[in-house]
Amino acid sequence: MKRLNRRVAITLVLVAGLLTGMVFFCVQLFRNGNDWVGFFGTTYYESGAIYDSKGVKLYDGQTGEYAEDWSTRVSTLHLVGDRNFGTSLRSVLASRLTGYNPVTGTTLGSHDVTLTVDASLNATAYQALNGRKGVVAVYNYLTGDTKCLVSAPSYDPLNPPGDINENPAYEGAYLNRFFSSTYTPGSTFKIVTTAAAIEQKKDLDAFTFSCTGSYQIGPDTITCPYAHGQNMNIDQCLASSCNGAYAQLALELGGDTLEKYMETAGLMESLEICDIHTARGSFEAAPDGSSYLGWSGVGQYKDLVNPCTMLAFLGGIANRGVATVPQLVDKETLSGSAVPAAFPDGTETYKIYDEATCARLKEMLRNNVVNQYGQSQFGDLPVCAKSGTAEVGGDKQPHAWFVGFVDDVNTPLAFLVLVENGGSGASVAGSIAAQVLAQAAAN
Amino acid sequence: MQELWTRLQLIFTQLFDQVRAAVAAETEHVVLTVLDTVLPVACGVLRVLAVIVALLILVRCVLSLVREKTGKEIWGWLAMNDGTQFDLRHWENTVGRGGFSDVVLDFPTVSRSHLALLRDDKGNWRLQPLQTKNGTRVNGKAVEHTVPIKSGDIIDLGGMPLEFYAISDQEEREQAMRLGVAERPLSPARTLGYLTVFQIMMAVQCLPGREGQDLIMIASSFGILLIAMWAMYALYRTLKRTAFEPETIAFFLCTISFSITAAYSPESLLVQTISMLLGMIFFLLLSVLLRDLQATVSMRWAVAVLTCLLLIFNVVLGEAVFGAKNWIDLGFISFQPSEFVKVAFIFTGAATLDRLFARRNLIFTILFCGFCMGCLALMSDFGTALIFFVALLVIAFLRSGDVGFLALMGTAAVAGGWMILQFKPYILNRFMAWRHVWEYSTEAGGYQQTRTMSAIASGGLFGKGTEESFLKNIGAANTDLVFGVISEEFGLILALLTVSCILILAIYAVRCAANARSSYYVIAANSAAAMLVFQASLNVLGAVDILPLTGVTLPFVSMGGSSMISCWGLLAFLKAADTRPNASFSLKLPKRIRGWVPPDPEGIYDGWDEDFDDYYDDEYFDDYDQGYAYDDPYQYNEFEGYDQPDFTQQWTPPQPGPEDPYATRHWKQGEGGIDDWQSLADQRPMEDTIRPADFGEGRENR
Repeated sequence: MKRLNRRVAITLVLVAGLLTGMVFFCVQLFRNGNDWVGFFGTTYYESGAIYDSKGVKLYDGQTGEYAEDWSTRVSTLHLVGDRNFGTSLRSVLASRLTGYNPVTGTTLGSHDVTLTVDASLNATAYQALNGRKGVVAVYNYLTGDTKCLVSAPSYDPLNPPGDINENPAYEGAYLNRFFSSTYTPGSTFKIVTTAAAIEQKKDLDAFTFSCTGSYQIGPDTITCPYAHGQNMNIDQCLASSCNGAYAQLALELGGDTLEKYMETAGLMESLEICDIHTARGSFEAAPDGSSYLGWSGVGQYKDLVNPCTMLAFLGGIANRGVATVPQLVDKETLSGSAVPAAFPDGTETYKIYDEATCARLKEMLRNNVVNQYGQSQFGDLPVCAKSGTAEVGGDKQPHAWFVGFVDDVNTPLAFLVLVENGGSGASVAGSIAAQVLAQAAAN
Repeated sequence: MQELWTRLQLIFTQLFDQVRAAVAAETEHVVLTVLDTVLPVACGVLRVLAVIVALLILVRCVLSLVREKTGKEIWGWLAMNDGTQFDLRHWENTVGRGGFSDVVLDFPTVSRSHLALLRDDKGNWRLQPLQTKNGTRVNGKAVEHTVPIKSGDIIDLGGMPLEFYAISDQEEREQAMRLGVAERPLSPARTLGYLTVFQIMMAVQCLPGREGQDLIMIASSFGILLIAMWAMYALYRTLKRTAFEPETIAFFLCTISFSITAAYSPESLLVQTISMLLGMIFFLLLSVLLRDLQATVSMRWAVAVLTCLLLIFNVVLGEAVFGAKNWIDLGFISFQPSEFVKVAFIFTGAATLDRLFARRNLIFTILFCGFCMGCLALMSDFGTALIFFVALLVIAFLRSGDVGFLALMGTAAVAGGWMILQFKPYILNRFMAWRHVWEYSTEAGGYQQTRTMSAIASGGLFGKGTEESFLKNIGAANTDLVFGVISEEFGLILALLTVSCILILAIYAVRCAANARSSYYVIAANSAAAMLVFQASLNVLGAVDILPLTGVTLPFVSMGGSSMISCWGLLAFLKAADTRPNASFSLKLPKRIRGWVPPDPEGIYDGWDEDFDDYYDDEYFDDYDQGYAYDDPYQYNEFEGYDQPDFTQQWTPPQPGPEDPYATRHWKQGEGGIDDWQSLADQRPMEDTIRPADFGEGRENR
């Protein structure tokens, strides 16, 4: 019997197994319960509503209804989303909309979420894109509040197009390009090259470049659209976006230096916004002395940036070297009331370049607007900007970029406009930016 | 006066009429509004309170089980000629040199496992030699096969003489009395009172949103549950059984089962209620049978044959429900034979000590299990087959203690499983999603688990009530996903408490092993516990994607009549191993002796409060109080004259004194014994006999 009494430990082994399993499950539940609820959040659970910053209801979790206005529905689709969007707020905020917490689950009732986004601004931006694919984003670089976020193509969630999977016009419609895409930055990358030059080239103020329309690197040629002129200083080179000058700077700085400045700019990081992880940019240092290095210095070659990190980078320059991570949620309240249901999302920042470097960049970007793009289109807003025309190969039109910020503490807005295959950056994207900025500043 | 009275009446009547008219107009609206606002809040409060009460019930059950203070039954002694005594603490004892023997005799001429001393439930003892090398003699006669022995017989183990004494009826009774007082469980009635409160709370929570027929069904099922519980307890009290913890836990689990069934489909409560009643009857019958160990053992073959026939019948005539062809439909009733086979398997698989020493005895069990598993595989009921396999492993290990054998069986199982996957690749698909269910949330592999996990998280610690839940609408929610349904509706804490119930039952089985009388009870209890625990593991951990989802039931809780009945059957095995006096219905009380008096030298019965009132009611006390017990001089003198240790104190054996290492004690024992140990001691040469060092402090056996 004594022998048998020891053998009964086998029962305890099974008990320990079940116990371990239960503990493991409880740990998992505590850590991932949020995601578990979120996964079916708006399907099975009572879910709150999503409002824009002005109180326009974008989505009602109780009834499953979207905004009444067509242009609001379409322009906020990628924000609000339906089940097809992995990065939509309905998906990533599901556990917050259902009011989940580990102790009471979803039993205390749903929460309403008010966004920082202004739906009317979105509508304007979407209309300005005028059917072209692209991204328009505006955010407050001091607080991180995102004011406008449009990704096109979009569609009406109440009436999804039947040919969405076949029609090339809807290619990538389920993608929020702002968070999930990376693009060739084109000339907007020259901001990074300039930053590297400011810090690494002590004699930058003495730098001059004469553009003949083409710049020879060994057997290869870096071309400019036309001869930009003689003896340009660095400000003029950036304003005219002279490829030759920047190719030469890139060769002088070297691939590793450029990569380091790309990294410091945060353009190779992935930001986390409401559990959405942005795509990472990338940079490949070409061999020193090669034309590839020259091209990578002007934002071509294998350079890729994500619109969201690019926007934060611009905000960082405006904010004296401290970039603020964009935010989407303004407040979370108990459904149907103004009672706060969660602490406000804290403002997250990260360091990019030195304050002095940013001040110099700001000066040069302001110079771009004043002397190149024309201040008139921005009214009296002190806009600092850089355009970009990113060649995408083949016989396709280049992507048009226009990025920048308003250097004014009363309207601390950074903006980013990207029109896929839009053509010339300054004219195409610039006009959209002007239109959206004007409305954003008016608010 | 009369006028005043009439006036008052008139005023009151008018007032009443007015109020009634006002209420009548608004009644419907008001009642509905009140119900709409008050009911959810009330149910929420009830859910929190129910968790607290549930915790209280289980804590009381656990406390009651661990309150054991002394807990060593003694059924006889072996005495050496120097007066050293060895207790025989079980009905089955091994004697030998090995440290694992129940009586350790560390002498070179004694074999490691020399012999076994076996008692039946009538008090008859047998001696079974376990080896032939060193020889065994009883009263000088060489013994090679099992022989009956009686008090006073001299057993000689390789030249080492021991005198055997069995406990007398009177001592057995005294022992039961002593242990009964020392190990009184916490008042089961109070625990049952809490359980009743819990049941009412759960029943009320099931009511919102139900109407008419459903309300009656819910109320009556819970009512029957309540009455059945108290009736069973009353039966126990009538039979002077006081321990009710495993039954309380079973009823607790039944309550949970009723609650989720009520939330899912009240009409199914009828089946659940009837099967619970049948299960209770099955439990009591099996308990009565298990009292008689010989009858139990002799029925093993018959049960095995019947089981095989039932399974063959099932394979041939079974009906497929949810993929597995494990149902038999007799027209008026349909059931799952595989559930009953679980009980039969343990019934036949457990064995008494005398059969543990022959490997061939295990082969029968393995063959039987192999047959059961084969039939289950034919029925595509792989979950149950897996449970059988684990039960077989546990039984095989308990019987043989052979880890290598376990490894061999495990390897064979893996190979067998691989073969099955080769021939039936569709089974593999069910495991594809395992640990990746979120990627399969819309497909069969992960559909149920993802929803279960989501529902558990959404319920929080206290649940969201029966009305709000969505998981009950998912297929097999009330069987396979029952853990999720409890969590969602009544909260994670209650769900975890439900699982801990199974764990408590298993630990109860393990604890009982230490004092068990026969190895049959130990093996049966532990393999039944192992079955319950493993089945619970498959169910609970399967539903939340820690194990693959196999579709087995959660014992006592999942919807299903056959499962409910078989779980009560398994509980009978657990209960039969409980040797606490007056605890188990499966144990016979000691024979009564007229006029016998419980010794109470320290006044331990004085001042028992009402918690122990049943001892005041007891006939023992009636006899004692009236004092006529002492008038029976024969009994009294017999007791006085009987030179046995005082049960009420920690008895220290007479140690050999330094001046007289072979101290003599005189035993006034009946026929068959020897009267004077001195003579025996004198006959022995000095060097063979006792080595005092062997009996120093720290020896396990005195």
